[in-house]
Amino acid sequence: MTVLTTSVPERSLLLYHPFVRVAVAGISFAALMAAPSFLPAYFVEIGFKLLLYIVLAEAWNLLAGYCGLVSLGSSSFFGLGAYLTVGLLNHTDSGIGLALAASALVAMALALVMSRGLFRLRGLYFTVGTLALAEALRLLVVNVPWFGGASGLFVSADLPEIAELFRDAALLLVVTSLVMTLATGSRFSVLLRAVRDDEDAASQVGVRAFRVKLAALMVASALIAIAGGLQAIKLGAIEPYGSFGLQWSVDPLAIVIIGGLGMRFGAIVGAIFFVAVGELLAEYPELHVAITGVILIILIRCAPRGLCGLLETALRRAGLTKVASS
Amino acid sequence: MPGLDVIVNALISGLLLGGMLALTALGLSIILGVMRLVNLAHGEFLVAGAYAGLFLLQRTGIDPLVGLLLIGLILALIGYPIYRFLLAPLAGKGSEAAMMTMFGLSIILQNLFVLLFSADTRAIERDYATVPLTLGPISVPQIYAIGFAISVALIMAVHVLIARSRFGSELRASADQPLAAAIIGINVSRVHALTFCLGTACAGIGGTLIGVALSFTPTSGATYLLTDFAVIVLGGLGNVLGTLVGGIVLGVLQSVGGLTLGDGYRDLVGLVLFLAMLQLRPQGFLGSRA
Repeated sequence: MTVLTTSVPERSLLLYHPFVRVAVAGISFAALMAAPSFLPAYFVEIGFKLLLYIVLAEAWNLLAGYCGLVSLGSSSFFGLGAYLTVGLLNHTDSGIGLALAASALVAMALALVMSRGLFRLRGLYFTVGTLALAEALRLLVVNVPWFGGASGLFVSADLPEIAELFRDAALLLVVTSLVMTLATGSRFSVLLRAVRDDEDAASQVGVRAFRVKLAALMVASALIAIAGGLQAIKLGAIEPYGSFGLQWSVDPLAIVIIGGLGMRFGAIVGAIFFVAVGELLAEYPELHVAITGVILIILIRCAPRGLCGLLETALRRAGLTKVASS
Repeated sequence: MPGLDVIVNALISGLLLGGMLALTALGLSIILGVMRLVNLAHGEFLVAGAYAGLFLLQRTGIDPLVGLLLIGLILALIGYPIYRFLLAPLAGKGSEAAMMTMFGLSIILQNLFVLLFSADTRAIERDYATVPLTLGPISVPQIYAIGFAISVALIMAVHVLIARSRFGSELRASADQPLAAAIIGINVSRVHALTFCLGTACAGIGGTLIGVALSFTPTSGATYLLTDFAVIVLGGLGNVLGTLVGGIVLGVLQSVGGLTLGDGYRDLVGLVLFLAMLQLRPQGFLGSRA
């Protein structure tokens, strides 16, 4: 995307001490795991949705924010994960964990197969290519008889409780966070940003742009597919317009732009905001989407680095160090 | 295997529908070619044109085909403020910012349509949409032939405008080298504004024709957006006559796909063709001249 250079944060603050970070992460994880035991069912539902959206948004942020691959094809991998997971649950006795893992592997394989074609497309054409891929997969699923056509499939295996799904989603978020920490705090992050900012220049100095993009795409696809599988198990039924719905491509994009593209906490902040607005306007779904559109347009125009960017500027003005980005 | 007359009929109606598809894609194509903008709200402009035709007929009784130019004008008047207030301020901020803005606009419009006009499937009902035009064994709805003729005429008009007029040469200069064009005194921003209005006007007219020939819903835009991408990729980006070729090729192939594989596969054929074409020959059948 356009200029998004994130500077190296000042590490003087106690918050950035590795031990403090691990401790904070550990406590948050424990709290997440314990949450469904005492939260009311309504909040567990919302929490599950929030966790799923954070994972999707992180994956999208990895692609668009850190690697410059603006994708409108998240729904292809989301739907793939949903259909594979349900298929495996119905026809084998693999259990949820194995089914989700297999979905992730197949999504990575699809990313690998499609990469040759997709990466020939640069910039805007890549975006349109991913959109077409998602639509093609959806039409394929609608028309090929194995997949239950337009009416979809039911999960015949026993469905787990929402509390258990919440914990699964929390685990997925932990994995996602680890991946994102690795991808944004290691040597690989430099490669990613080099490819994002100027692919040709990066190739000139010896960065294998294709492999860097492929790695990002495969990781993101696997995460999105697992999220799709979890959502399918939660619903207990899948159909092509839901699982391959454009919303699964659109929502992560909206969340990341609202939160802050290429910002480490962009996905989390954006997802909380997005889910909160969605719940407030739950009675008026059309209005909700339209308002999301208005917020998108305003933020792109006035605050290209999203809510996190605004927060960072505000904190710096107040004389504090950069807390919002890392 | 269906009989020969069925096949010929399907091919002819594919050809005629393809001409109309080309008109729907024209706006997307010139906006992309001149402004380097992937107008993700293009489908919503088509649907807006279809609603405009529908309400024109219901409220005033003006036949949508008579009112086509009026509809084009309305859509151009809608397009101008969108360019002026949403796109112009983003000039120089990279192409993604403008694309995302149009995307935001597309979800706003889509949901506004649902809120204002309900999610019902609509069609603009005219006699010529159902009465067949029969010529020997061939029989297609009259609107297919009328729509094809109007589409080809409009595409030719736009081609002449771009190839011959002064505005056209300024447009081509702005598309090739915006900076150089600005240096020699072309008002690139004005060219972009006019291009955008021309694009939305074409989209509106195409949408009305589609609204008469087929049917539409508030969310039809997304499907047409992809179909139109397929058309312009087949025809070559920003190539006006190529758009016509691309539309006809896609229309015929969709008919063939529907005939051999089943009706549900029509759109899939278009998308697969689109993805394959992007891989093999991104500059389109006719090469890359605008």
